[in-house]
Amino acid sequence: MLHIENLHVSIDGKSILTGIDLDVKAGEVHAIMGPNGSGKSTLAQVLAGREGYVVTAGSVRYLGHDLLALEPEQRARAGVFLAFQYPLEIPGVANVQLLRAALNNLRRARGENELDAMDFLDTVKSKLALLGMDDSFLYRAVNEGFSGGEKKRNEILQMAVLEPRLAILDETDSGLDIDALKTVAHGVNALKHPERAVILVTHYQRLLNYIVPDHVHVLAGGRIVRSGDARLALELEDKGYGWLAPDVQGNVQGDVQGDVPMEAPREGRL
Amino acid sequence: MNSFTMSQALVNTRSSLRLMPVRRAALEQFIAHGLPTSHEEDWKYTSLGHLEKTEWHTPEGAPIVSNVVLGTEEYPGEVMHFSNGHLNEASPQACYARSLAKQADSAPVVQHLDTLTRATALTQLNSALWQDGLFLHVSTKDTSADASAPLFAVYSAGEAGAMLHLRNLIVLEAGAEMLLVEHYRGTPDLAYWNNPVTEIVLGEGARLTHLKLTEDSAAATHTGLTVVQQARDSCYRALSVNLGGRLLRQDVEVNLMGDGAECRLDGLFIADARRHIDQHLHIEHAASHTTSRQAWRGIAAGRGRGIFDARVVVQPDAQHADAQQASANLLLSPHAEIDVKPQLEIYTNDVQCGHGAAVGQLDEAQIFYLRSRGISADVARALLLRGFADAALGLLKDTGLAEWLEPHLTAALPRLEQERAA
Ligand SMILES: Nc1ncnc2c1ncn2[C@@H]1O[C@H](COP(=O)(O)OP(=O)(O)OP(=O)(O)O)[C@@H](O)[C@H]1O
Ligand SMILES: [Mg+2]
Repeated sequence: MLHIENLHVSIDGKSILTGIDLDVKAGEVHAIMGPNGSGKSTLAQVLAGREGYVVTAGSVRYLGHDLLALEPEQRARAGVFLAFQYPLEIPGVANVQLLRAALNNLRRARGENELDAMDFLDTVKSKLALLGMDDSFLYRAVNEGFSGGEKKRNEILQMAVLEPRLAILDETDSGLDIDALKTVAHGVNALKHPERAVILVTHYQRLLNYIVPDHVHVLAGGRIVRSGDARLALELEDKGYGWLAPDVQGNVQGDVQGDVPMEAPREGRL
Repeated sequence: MNSFTMSQALVNTRSSLRLMPVRRAALEQFIAHGLPTSHEEDWKYTSLGHLEKTEWHTPEGAPIVSNVVLGTEEYPGEVMHFSNGHLNEASPQACYARSLAKQADSAPVVQHLDTLTRATALTQLNSALWQDGLFLHVSTKDTSADASAPLFAVYSAGEAGAMLHLRNLIVLEAGAEMLLVEHYRGTPDLAYWNNPVTEIVLGEGARLTHLKLTEDSAAATHTGLTVVQQARDSCYRALSVNLGGRLLRQDVEVNLMGDGAECRLDGLFIADARRHIDQHLHIEHAASHTTSRQAWRGIAAGRGRGIFDARVVVQPDAQHADAQQASANLLLSPHAEIDVKPQLEIYTNDVQCGHGAAVGQLDEAQIFYLRSRGISADVARALLLRGFADAALGLLKDTGLAEWLEPHLTAALPRLEQERAA
């Protein structure tokens, strides 16, 4: 489904990803772990089509398309979904407005009819119930004033409504309480399907108790330095990244490991 | 424009004889001083030079503005329709609303007309040449004025070269409440000049909610003044939506004269194409425990130009005054410009004041977020723009007017996409 080959990416002339190879087949769940600053979000954002990231080498094929040639909205319409590590707040745009515009765009792209207002609300409300979210979230501005955990849940709500083929979840588990973690895992598991795939970026083994990955990869210094099955995550939990290879830490180019605040947003807003 | 045509226009005003000396004096003053020039601080950004070069006339009699050209509009309430400066049509239920020309000698008009305005050139010209306008007088006893049902004062312009000096007087007696909508509109691309003056007197505890939608033609000039005087515990809430005209200059002056008086001035302007929109707000806190709130939003695109100049003066007697100003602005093209000038002048110690102003662009990260959900870049921008604009319209929430305004706003917003591309 997704085939990444030798992907090199730089930002402002600084090289961040230095040769990623990754193969994700339909029906699989992949977990990507790795130290802070190793490039996990960069990979996720590049797959979603964020501008400003320059692909200097390599290729990404998705369902037979050259993914990198598509605009962000075309990727979404082709079934790629990214749950952001730091979901954006959009004042003045109601959650329900976003969901409706997004869903109808996708349906049109798939050659399906747009849902009328009633059917749309039924669909959305069933997803809200699945995620234990109150209906009132629909009428609030997207993520505005949402707590950290509510924002993450809202990402999963969008995912549940849009039913992507390839879902990339960037630290959706960070900042969630134990119950919310289970709910989110439930939402992801409900989406599992032989025709769909999930990439989970996470720092914690905890999430992987609920969503069992087929493959676990460690990204460090812009490359995947180790891949294995679910047991690799357990081993990492136990031993940390230093255990993998001394050069893994060396590769992280001065970036701090460990006590970095998870929720410090980088993106600026008006 | 010359003094002869202006004097001719004065002869054409056929209202109360009582007003003739006032009109004559006002015109003399205007002729002596002329239009404001950019040497005056208040007119630094806005030139009225083009007004000098045109021969303006005041339309005579009650003309018919072709609805075919202007399009008919459904108003969800009572309507007073002024065409080319004259009352043309009034809903029968709106009996608390009258023609100012017809009521010029009634007691409240004699008492209040021309008492609020400062003698600026444009108001003097209006005082000299006004032909008609809305006279709204609501006393507490008045059961016909339902505070939740809006009264629409609609001003249509349909004659090229016309100058329309509409004069409105709104008097709410103690305890009265009213919801008033002013709508200025004109035949598309017609060059005319609107110069309305609206005087508003709010008695003790009176409450007025006032929406002013300015949608003049793309070739029109609109120079308008609204001046408000508030007695104790009265409340004035206003929303200006400025979408039209080639040049729009709007002055709003609010005098908080009585203890506990409150005002809220919200606004939204869209200066696209070559539109020039200049808004000057002036609030005087002249009594204790008075409150003022300003929240204004602006969008400029193309070669549009917006100015937001807001001055709040807290006088020595205004202890415990509370004044907040906020202005948020979006620039959609590199040639667009918005100048923001918030000013607080405080002459007493015990006050709470604050202001914030920002001029920025649509946020690329937000656009990407929406695109990553399958929404095209243009739709994403439109959604963000709409969201930005909607945040200025909070006042409409409990008025039931949001639905009415909706198509006007929608018609004004999409133009921006073309502007940006141009
Ligand atoms: N816009 C940018 N400009 C400059 N450097 C950037 C930019 N975005 C990311 N980086 C750098 O790229 C590196 C990788 O960042 P990325 O966000 O991909 O890390 P991550 O693996 O997701 O980390 P975390 O676990 O903390 O979320 C970091 O060193 C970061 O500072
Ligand atoms: Mg990250």
